[in-house]
Formats: sequence, C-alpha cells, structure tokens
Amino acid sequence: MSLKSKLNRLKGHLQLENKSMDKNEEATTKDAIFSKEESSSDKQLEDKWASLGFVPYYFEDQVSFVKRTIYPFHQRNEFNKIYDWWKSSHLPHPLSCKDVPLERMMFFDTETTGLSTGAGNSIFLIGYARIVEGGIEVTQHMLSDPSSEAAFMYHFLQDFTEDDYLVSYNGKAFDWPQVKSRHAFVRNVVPKLPAFGHIDLLHAARRLWKHELPSCRLSIVEKEKLSVFREHDTPGSMAPLLYFDYIHHKDPKELAGIIEHNDQDVRSLVTLFIEISSRLSYTNDFKLSAKEHIQIGNWFNQLKWTENAFFHYEKAIDSSDKDRDEAYYKLGLMWKKCGNLEKAKTHFLQALSIQSIPNVDSFIELAKIAEHGEKNVGEAYRYSKLALEQIKKSVRLTSKETALKLKVEKRIERLANKLDFH
Amino acid sequence: MFGKKSLHDLIQELRTDQHVSFWLEMDEQPANSVAFPKKMDDKIKQALRKRGIENIYTHQASSFDAVLQGENIVAVTPTASGKTFCYNLPVVQRHIYNPDSRALYIFPTKALAQDQKSEINEFIDDMDVQINSYTYDGDTPANIRQVVRKAGHIVITNPDMLHSAILPHHTKWISLFENLETIVIDELHTYRGVFGSHVANVIRRLKRICKYYGSNPTFICTSATIANPTELCEELIGENVRLIDNNGAPRGKKHFVLYNPPIVNKQLNIRKPSTKVVNEIAATFLKERIQTIVFSRSRVSVEIILSHLQELVKKELRQKSIRGYRGGYLPNQRREIERSLRSGETVGVVSTNALELGVDIGQLQVCVMNGYPGSIASSWQQAGRAGRRSDESLVIMVGNSNPLDQYIFQHPEFFFKGSPETARLNKDNLIILVDHLKCAAYELPFERGETFDGCEIDEILEYLTEERVLHEQKNKWYWMNDAFPAHNISLRSAAQENVIIIDQSHVEKHRVIGEMDTFSAMTLLHDEAIYLHEGIQFQVEYLDWDEKKAFVREVDVEYFTDANIAVQLRVLDIDKEKQMGPSVLQYGDMMVTAMATIFKKLKLETFENIGSGPIHLPEQDLHTNGIALTFTSESVLKINEKALEQMLMGLAHVLQHVACVRVMCDKNDLHAVPEVKAIHSEKPTVFLYDRYPGGIGLSESVYKQMDNILSDALNYIQQCPCESGCPSCIGIAGVGGISGGEESIKRIVHATIGSILR
Repeated sequence: MSLKSKLNRLKGHLQLENKSMDKNEEATTKDAIFSKEESSSDKQLEDKWASLGFVPYYFEDQVSFVKRTIYPFHQRNEFNKIYDWWKSSHLPHPLSCKDVPLERMMFFDTETTGLSTGAGNSIFLIGYARIVEGGIEVTQHMLSDPSSEAAFMYHFLQDFTEDDYLVSYNGKAFDWPQVKSRHAFVRNVVPKLPAFGHIDLLHAARRLWKHELPSCRLSIVEKEKLSVFREHDTPGSMAPLLYFDYIHHKDPKELAGIIEHNDQDVRSLVTLFIEISSRLSYTNDFKLSAKEHIQIGNWFNQLKWTENAFFHYEKAIDSSDKDRDEAYYKLGLMWKKCGNLEKAKTHFLQALSIQSIPNVDSFIELAKIAEHGEKNVGEAYRYSKLALEQIKKSVRLTSKETALKLKVEKRIERLANKLDFH
Repeated sequence: MFGKKSLHDLIQELRTDQHVSFWLEMDEQPANSVAFPKKMDDKIKQALRKRGIENIYTHQASSFDAVLQGENIVAVTPTASGKTFCYNLPVVQRHIYNPDSRALYIFPTKALAQDQKSEINEFIDDMDVQINSYTYDGDTPANIRQVVRKAGHIVITNPDMLHSAILPHHTKWISLFENLETIVIDELHTYRGVFGSHVANVIRRLKRICKYYGSNPTFICTSATIANPTELCEELIGENVRLIDNNGAPRGKKHFVLYNPPIVNKQLNIRKPSTKVVNEIAATFLKERIQTIVFSRSRVSVEIILSHLQELVKKELRQKSIRGYRGGYLPNQRREIERSLRSGETVGVVSTNALELGVDIGQLQVCVMNGYPGSIASSWQQAGRAGRRSDESLVIMVGNSNPLDQYIFQHPEFFFKGSPETARLNKDNLIILVDHLKCAAYELPFERGETFDGCEIDEILEYLTEERVLHEQKNKWYWMNDAFPAHNISLRSAAQENVIIIDQSHVEKHRVIGEMDTFSAMTLLHDEAIYLHEGIQFQVEYLDWDEKKAFVREVDVEYFTDANIAVQLRVLDIDKEKQMGPSVLQYGDMMVTAMATIFKKLKLETFENIGSGPIHLPEQDLHTNGIALTFTSESVLKINEKALEQMLMGLAHVLQHVACVRVMCDKNDLHAVPEVKAIHSEKPTVFLYDRYPGGIGLSESVYKQMDNILSDALNYIQQCPCESGCPSCIGIAGVGGISGGEESIKRIVHATIGSILR
C-alpha cells in the first residue's frame, strides 16, 4: 500500500484543529441547574481542564467536565451506502440499523477504574461519537472526582433520548451493565436510564475473524482489519492507574493520553461498523478472503438470510483461495435442504476433489444422498467405507470422532445387510 | 451364627461389657404442642393440616409470635426437632401480609442450602401462594441468576456467596435489598472462631447495604446447643435477640455409652488404640446391617478406619455400602454419598465433623465416636445423628489415651451435666476487620464519622487512604483501586490459598481429587506423604509449593505418614502481665514461625515407626495472640537441662488440654509450645497461643482463668493412676532429677505447678 492511500485511510483518526466549542457554550447555560460559588482551587482545576478542551457542567453542588470535538467524516459515502443497504433489508439482523435514524446512533465506550464488574468499579470517562452534519462529533464526559457522580451521570443522560441506539465493543457484557450499576448509586437524583437498543460489534468481529486473529481485542482488529495504526497510544489497561494518579495530583494532563485513547476508540467503532457492514453487504468494493466469505455465509445462514448466505459461499468459491472447500460443503448442505440433491451432490464431490485430506462429513452426506435419494445402496456403501477409512487415518480419535466412527460403522453394517438381501 | 441380631439384642450384649465405664439411658420424651397461633393465615394452617399436622411444637409457636412482632430470635433446638418451621412459617406469613417482601436464607454450606430449597418448595407447593425460592451459589447457571436477583422471594445462599458475589454486586440486587424483611441464619453455632469472625463482618456489610436501600430486616437464627447462644448471636448480627429454647419436639429412647479401651501397658498406662476398638464395635453393628455412623477427628483417621471396616465386613457387605465422608472430597462425590445414605444403599459412613451439620441423611441407628470430639456441643451434634426419628438409638464414645478423653471419662458428670461450650468470635480482629472494610468500601463509600455497625473505623480508613486503596474527598472515602477485594479474602481459612491435589495415576487422564489449606498441606501433602482419599492410598510425588499443587499417584503400602512441625515463638508486644507465685504470666502479640521438619512412616496395624524423611518447605508465619508462663524460681532453675526440657513438655501438654476444657475450644485452636530458654525472657517458658492470625480471643480467656487452669491441671495429674507420667497426663514418662537426684517428671511437673499456686 502506498503511503498516500495509507494516510487517506487514517484521515478519520488524524486529529484536525477545527474543533467547535460553540455547542458547549450553548449547552452550558441551558443545562446548568445550579451554579456554585467556585473556590480558587476549583477554579484552578477548571482552568486545567479547559486546557484539554473540557468545560465544566454543574449539577447541584457538583461539577463534571465535558468536551465536544467535531472531526471531518471522510467515510461518509461508504457509510451512506451501508446505511442504505441496512435500510433496504427485510430480515432482522443483530447489526441492523434499519429503523435507527442516523443521528441517533451512538458509538459508545467507557473507561473505568478496574476490570471487575462490581459496585466498587467506577466509570470515569464516557465517550461517544455521533454522525452529524459537519462530520463526526465526539463527546466525552469526565468524572472529575468520585464525589461528583451525580453531575457526571446527569449530564450524560441529558444528551439522550429513548430512541438512541448504542454501538459498542463488548458493551453488552461490560460497559452497559457498568453504566447501570453506577446509575443505581445516583438513581434518586438523576433521570431514569433509558432502555437503549444496542449493537455490540465485538460479537460481529468474533463471527468474522475469530479463526484468523489471535484475539478480537479492538486494538488487534484495528491493526489487522482497519489498517489503523495508533502512534503513542495509551493502552486502555493503563486507565485505572492513570485515573488514580490524577485523583491524587489533580492534574488533568495525566489523563490526556487516555482521553485521546477513548476518542480514537469511539471513532474506530464508526470505521469498524462501516467495515463489517461493507463486508456483509459486499458494497464499497471490499476484497474479502474466502474465510471471511464463509464466516459471513455461516452467519447469514444461521439468521435465515438464505440468499445472502448463498451469495457469500459462491463468492468464496470464486475466490479460488485454499479455504474454499468449506464453501462447497456448506453449499452442498444448503442445496440438500432445498431438496436439490443433484446440486448438493456436485458440491460435496467438488469439496472432496480439492481437499488434500478429504472431509469425512462430505462422504457421509454423499452416502446419505445415495441411499435415501438415489436408492443406490452400493454407492452408499462405497461412500460409507471411504468415510470410515478416513476416520481410521487419524492417529488419536477425539471423543467426537469416536462417536462418529461408531455411527459410520453402524451405517456400513446396515447397508451391508441391505446389499445381501437384494 | 443363626438369625440376625437386632439393635436391641446388641445393646443387651454391650451392657455386660466390662470396658463400658459409663451408661446413660435417656428416656423417651413426649411432644409438647400448642394450637396454631392466632395470627397464622388460614393458607398456612391448611397446608400444615394437609401434612397431618394439627398443632405445632411450643418452640415453633414462640418463634412465630416473636418474629411477627419484629423481634430478632435465636432458636436453640436439638437435631430433628422441626427447626425449619421456626423460620419458614413466619417468612411465609410475612409474604402473605406483603407479597413484595423478600427473605434471605444463609446456610453454612451449599449442601444444606440445596436441602432447604427442596423442603421449603414442597411446603409452598401445598399452599396457594406465589413464592419463588431459589438457591444462589457457585453452581447457579448464569441465566438463572438474573431471575433469582429480580424475582426471588426467598434467596437461599451461603456466607461465601454473600461475601463475594451478592454484596459486591448489590446494584444488581436492588429489589432484594429494598424489600428484605427477614434474614435467616441457620446453624448459628458454626459461626465461631475465624469463620465466625469473618461472617460477623459479612453481616455488618449486609446490614450496611440494607440500610442504604432502606430496609431493616429481622434476623431468625437457629443453633445447636451451646452455652451462649444469645451472646454468640448478638455478636454475630450486632443486634439484640430473644432466645427461644422451649423445645417441644419428642425424642426416642437413647443410650449414651462411654467405652474406655483396656489398658495394655499398665506401667505406662497405655490403652488399646481407640481406632482398633472403634473398628471392632462398628463392625458388629454393620454386620447386622444396622445403619451406623462413625465419627473420627482427623481426615487421616477417617480413611484408616474406613479401609479397616471395608476389609472387616467385606464378606457380609459390598464395599460401596461403607463410605467415607470428609472435607476434602469434591462436592459431587459428597452429594452422591448423602443420597445413597438416605436410600439405605449405604449402611455405614465414616466421617469427620463435616456431617455434624444438619444435612438430612435419614435415620441412622448407631453412632460411634472415635475419641471425644473436642467439645460438648460437637459431641451432642454427632450423637444427634443417631435416632433422628423416634425409635431406640445408641451412641458409643470410645476413649483415647489422651488427657482430654481420660479427663472426660474420669468425670462423666462434666460431660453430661456441665454446660456445653461457649462459642466465640472476634469480629474486631484487625486483620479480618480491615479485609472487610475494604470490601465494604468497595460496595459503598464511607462517610467520615460513620461506624461499621458500631465499630469506629476512621483511623483504619485513613490508613487505607495512605496505602492508596481508598481516596478521601469531601469527607467521604471512595474505593480507588482496580482490584476486586472480595476475591482475595476467603472466609473459611486463615491461610488464604488452597493446595490442589492432582491424581496422575493415569498418564492421559490427570484429575483433581481434592484440595487442602496450605497449613494442613505442610504436614499432609509434603513430598512422599501418604495421602488417603476414600480409603485409597496415594503417595505425593511432588508438591509444587509455588503453584500450590500436589501431584499424587495411587499406591498400595503398609504404612501412613505423620509429620512433625518445629515452632518458634517471638513475643512482639506485651499487653498484660501478672505475677503468679514465683512465675510471671504475660499476654500479648506473638509471632509464631512454623516449619515442617521431618515425617515418620508408621505401620498401619501397629503404628510402629518404620522410617522417616526430611520435609523441605518454607516457614509459615502466624501473627497472633498468646500467653507466656515464665518460670523464675530457684527450684525450677536448678533442674538439669534434660529434665527441665521434659518437665516443660509435660507441663505444656497438660496445660493445653486442661485449658481447652476451661476455655471450651478445640485442641487445634489453642496450641502449646515449651521453650527452655525463651527468646524474650531467656527463661524457661510455656506458651499457649491462638492458632489463627490476629487471635480469636482464646489466650486472653486463658490469661484470665490461669489460676483455675493450673489447679485443674494439678488435680488432674494427682488423679491419674500412672506412676511416673503417662501419655494421658503429661504426655511422657520417665525420670529426671534435680542436681542429679532421681525424681519422676510427673513429680516435678506437680511440684512446679504447686509452687505457682501456693
């Protein structure tokens, strides 16, 4: 890849200096319920936060800090395409944003004081990205100290309505339960937590790449799949320690790295949503590996998006990658399900023809077709024998293989009996 | 041999046995019942009538009335007296009053919780009420957990789960805590010592969370017979309680027999090993298929008795009909054993005190105890295992040669008439308190001036702030650490880590067969140790101390192993001191350093020493409380060194045993160590210390009662029939001398104690 195209890809993540503060000022006057008299140390702290672009938001005698930044949105075209594709879809899908207005999608991430999920783990930074007219708007709420949780939660909730839709990475298991837990502590003074819809991209990433990637951590997915390379990134795992340092020294600069990290995270989620949707919809001229096509095919197949499953399996076959035999096998199964035994048979045979080690399952499927479809007991017997031969080649059988072997042996026995009688 | 002998026949035979030293016949007791309380809802009455119950026992009625008046109660009831009604009836009644009300049941073990769930569910099914009761423990599947949290009217759990899964996640349990009306604590007497001190702090945390959510639950506790149920209960829950002890349940006829094995060595006063006698007695009942339970104190002895019994009766019964049951077994195995006991498939069971708790194993007819279980309460709990229903039953306690047993056998009135033990806990033990303050701060920030259920804690919180665990902001302390404190704190043992035992007999299939706390592992799982599990011998091939894993392999050998521990004591701080005759008694903080040194191989049949080996394991430190009795008198100082050493050993031996009786604790809780030249005083000294970090208040009690303990010891040595010391009194025999003159050690010990008391 040339340096130029790389930079183009990265543009969404390169911070540009045209930040807009207007919105904040407006909001400040509107949202401030109660403005307290500031002591000089509070003033100093506010100045320090201001140098990082955060403005104070008050609630009763508490304060939290909020920063809004607008970034240019270079992938708007790609985004519109996939957004339209989802709009035109008919069936439910966990990633579908069919009924979600564009501006209601919140790409959402939190930073916490620990990884445990109990009552003592606090969220100190909530960040989310929204697609707005002028680009991508990133909003970050900062818990300035542990006694200001009500202000923090209150102002976070001011930004939301019932129709908002979260897009997160592992938010279903971690971030959102954590928000709920923190909300419970201040539930008597702040509004109720709306019941958001939620798209968790971790589940999607796992579907697509769990076989390829050493892990589906966001940083690895970014590097391997989004071609996003972060320089001088503060790893998220440092968040607790950095926050503890900040709490002791009251110097917001210590958090600059983690604020930047969170900001990049939420923008990466936008990119990731585009990338995954583009792969699913096969728009935006993406080149997918056979493995990806197969994984997507499997996913669609499970969700009963049959046409799309067919499409991706066929694409896998076209790719001429070495992994495509699985696509033949899967297509064989799908054809069999539709009742087209002829096509099913061809696909199973094709799967076998390109495999260096023939797949036992294909033999068994062929045997079934021969026995029940074509009523050709001799053929069924031959395929079953081949299946058994293949099983016997593995040196040590797993318990699953042992069970399979038993089944195949029974099949052979049954077929042999049939042969004798005819 | 023709015809089967009944239990009654065997009891008659036993009456003529010359080694029976005491026989107590406890008559049947009729039931004492009253009509259903006025406040009781008709639905409950109907459900009871459906079960053929027309009136309830007096203690059940008293519990019902007291709880409905909002009083905290502790019901003291013997085994099988229908104690579950003491809490189930008022809890159901409260639910009928207020369908939103919730109750939390706390049982010391998972097994008991399971038992109770089936029992209460059966009862609820008989009624027209919508009460959901669920167990919540480590086995509860994730998808069920959410249902339990949101909709469980009765949540049944154990203290460990409460500590590490419920309280730290209280924000997920809001509907439980907001509506919590009743907390049931069953088997109260088990919450003593270190475990009790931990649990008392868990209760403090629980009450703090309830207060936060605006509930103020009533406590219903039930306990086996102990001397101080009210005191223990008030300590544990930090509230006033009303004692309910008007037991109205009937009881069958029961025979309680003390059996002292014959003396085999007259000079040394050594008796036939109790283990052998227990084997013989148990076998006579098992051969007649009379369900028998054998209790033995140590895990090793359980396994030894088990293998002997299986051997003795293998012609009459299948091997599986006699089972072992103890702490180290994995839960599934234990459940399976409990089931087969109930079904009658298993005729005999050999157990440590794991079965003392109220796990329902149905009806056993005979209970045999290998030695005095160490406490009166324990003895009655174990005895309660025989004859839970209303027919004749037999309990036989077989004496050991040790001083405690012989003391009991000399003075049966102490056992039968004396008050049972006092159960103690020390919830302000600093180590335990700090641990739980961390958990509490994790759960909810502390405000300056806030107490921990009455305990002042600002100073500790300030310390934790300095340690950067907490952060103070606007007079509130917040948890400021990325750890999950409850995960690092175990309620069950002072030593936090357990050693996993891995059987590698089959190369391709290594399996975990059990676990053990590190302190026990030092002496039971060292390299080359023989570890017994369900009657099978394993040899430890390698103990990986860093990883806390012991790798064992099945073997078949004729011996078992027994390890020695070397102990060193340093006095850190003296809190109290008093002069006792020519001696000084001190109480304070001590550091005990223990190290396993060697192990002996002892032959299974004869206990004969057939070899030994070294143990290479790191020292273990124990910071605790203890007393030091230091000897300064001329007469003691002029005893020659060898005799002095023996005298101190003898004295330590007898003092430990007598002190355990006086302060009513288990022998393992209070250790004794003699030192010829103690580090802090350079004088001959006997130490007694609490076996748990931070102490649990035993040695302080010893300090206060030292006069009585010494005179008991003097009296006991005088009454011992031996000539010059025996294992039953001073633990050793022999002669030493003052300036070369011959005099028995027993005489010297006697004289030394005498000189203090004079």
